This record gives sequence, structure tokens and C-alpha cells, in this order.
Amino acid sequence: MRTNLKVVDNSGAKRVMCIQALKGKKGARLGDTIIASVKEAQPRGKVKKGEVVYCVVVRAAMPRGRCDGSEIKFDDNAVVLVNKQGEPIGTRVFGPVPHELRKKKLVKILTLAEHIA
Amino acid sequence: MRLEKCWFCSSTIYPGHGIQFVRNDCTVFKFCRSKCHKNFKMKRNPRKVRWTKKYRELHNKDLARDTVFEFERKRQRPERYDRNLVENTLKAMKKIDDIRVSRRERFWLNRMKVKKIKERKEDLKELEQGIDLVKAPLAFQEDSTLTIPNAKKMKVVITKPDEESHQMEE
Repeated sequence: MRTNLKVVDNSGAKRVMCIQALKGKKGARLGDTIIASVKEAQPRGKVKKGEVVYCVVVRAAMPRGRCDGSEIKFDDNAVVLVNKQGEPIGTRVFGPVPHELRKKKLVKILTLAEHIA
Repeated sequence: MRLEKCWFCSSTIYPGHGIQFVRNDCTVFKFCRSKCHKNFKMKRNPRKVRWTKKYRELHNKDLARDTVFEFERKRQRPERYDRNLVENTLKAMKKIDDIRVSRRERFWLNRMKVKKIKERKEDLKELEQGIDLVKAPLAFQEDSTLTIPNAKKMKVVITKPDEESHQMEE
């Protein structure tokens, strides 16, 4: 809630604020979907400022445990805008992306990513 | 399962240990424990931190360039499975491990040899200069038969303990 996240695709939004974490009582983590409100957007983009969108968290500064026992963490908190079915709105994704998304069946984002951590 | 190397100290990271940090330029840093992770966050250069492997190899404290390490390089091309190849590789791995350990030891011994020679020199010098602590200088003047013993030719006689007394105790 109220977390400011960076948008790393070319859907038009720049900054987004989380309104609701769809799963999890304690909040969304790496790989979860959230509902967010667009706070800052590029002038000519697919989304406008003030719109309510679904997003997937692709980078989180909080370490996330992996099933082999190690932990992974990123430099910032970043998000990719997505529609209700889980398909990305944008056509490009910037920066590294975790392979936790494969388990969540968000394969499209993985194919667009430039590096899978 | 893959055994990784810690970015900071170059020790192996076994499964279940450590933290992976991915920077936004897609460089991945793996750390074996929080000590290395915290040093990284402090922006310390591992080449300047004395206990890391990178420092030791840079300053010739540890064996750095040897053909034994060529075996550990990561290969990009996967090999087609061949049972004989796997068997031979496993045998070779054990042997290479032994060779690597022995070469490292030899390198260390060679490095430490210099110290022994230096110590001996210093000891001789101390014997010459500090003989006053053992025998008073006046004693040398009065009795000319007393001489500073030649350290190289000095022999110490070891007296064997009485064997009879031991038998009595039984």
C-alpha cells in the first residue's frame, strides 16, 4: 500500500503507487500482482495519469527466498504493467527480471526481458 | 545444482547459503555470507582487503596461475553424455584435487623458506652481540681459554634418563 514503484516497460507510465496487493496478508513480494494507481506518466502513452492498473512486481529490494535456500534481491522496486489476464501492456521490458515469474505463469514478461536473474 | 564462487572472498557457495544481488545493469553478485555482503555494501574493493583470495593472488601469497586451475573453468558448450567420459572425468577430478593441494602446499613452503634463512642469520648475530647475558665480559678477559662457541659447530649432549630407576617403580 502506498509504495511508489518504478515502471520498467514502455506502456507510458513512469511511477505507480500500490493500492492493493492481490495475494498475501503481509503485502506483495517479488513476482506478485498488485493493483496500482498511475502517479506519473509519459505524455503519449497507453496509460494516463490517475488510471488504476494491474501490475506485476519484477524487482524488489527486499530479499526473496528461493527453493534452493539462497536469497535474491535487486537494487530497486520495479513493476511491469499488465492486464487482468497477466499479459503485459507494453512491448518492452527493461532491466533484469527474476525467474520466479515462470512459476506464476507470466511467461510473456520473461520473453520480453533482457536478462533473467 | 551448481557450486558458485563468492564475488568478494572467492570461496565456494554451497546450496542453501548466501545472498544474490542483481544490479540494474544486470550484473549478478553472489556472496557466501553476510560478512562479504556487508563489505560489498561498504564499497570495499576486494583487491585491497587482505583476507580475500583476490588480494592473496594479486600479491603472490597464493598460487594464482597454474594449469590445475584451467580444469575449473566454466564451459559453455554442453557435452554429449558418454558413460566412459563421465567415469574418466570423475577419476580425474579426484586426482586433480590431490595435485592442486600438493602444489599449493609447495608454493607455501617455498614462500616460507626465506624466513628460515633470515631467522638463522639474526640468531647468529644475536649470539655474537648478546653473549654478555650468558657470560660476563670480565670472565673472558681473565680466563683466555673461554671462547665464544662457534654456533655452527656447537653440539648439545643429551643425557639418557636412568633406566634402572624406572624398573624399580614397577
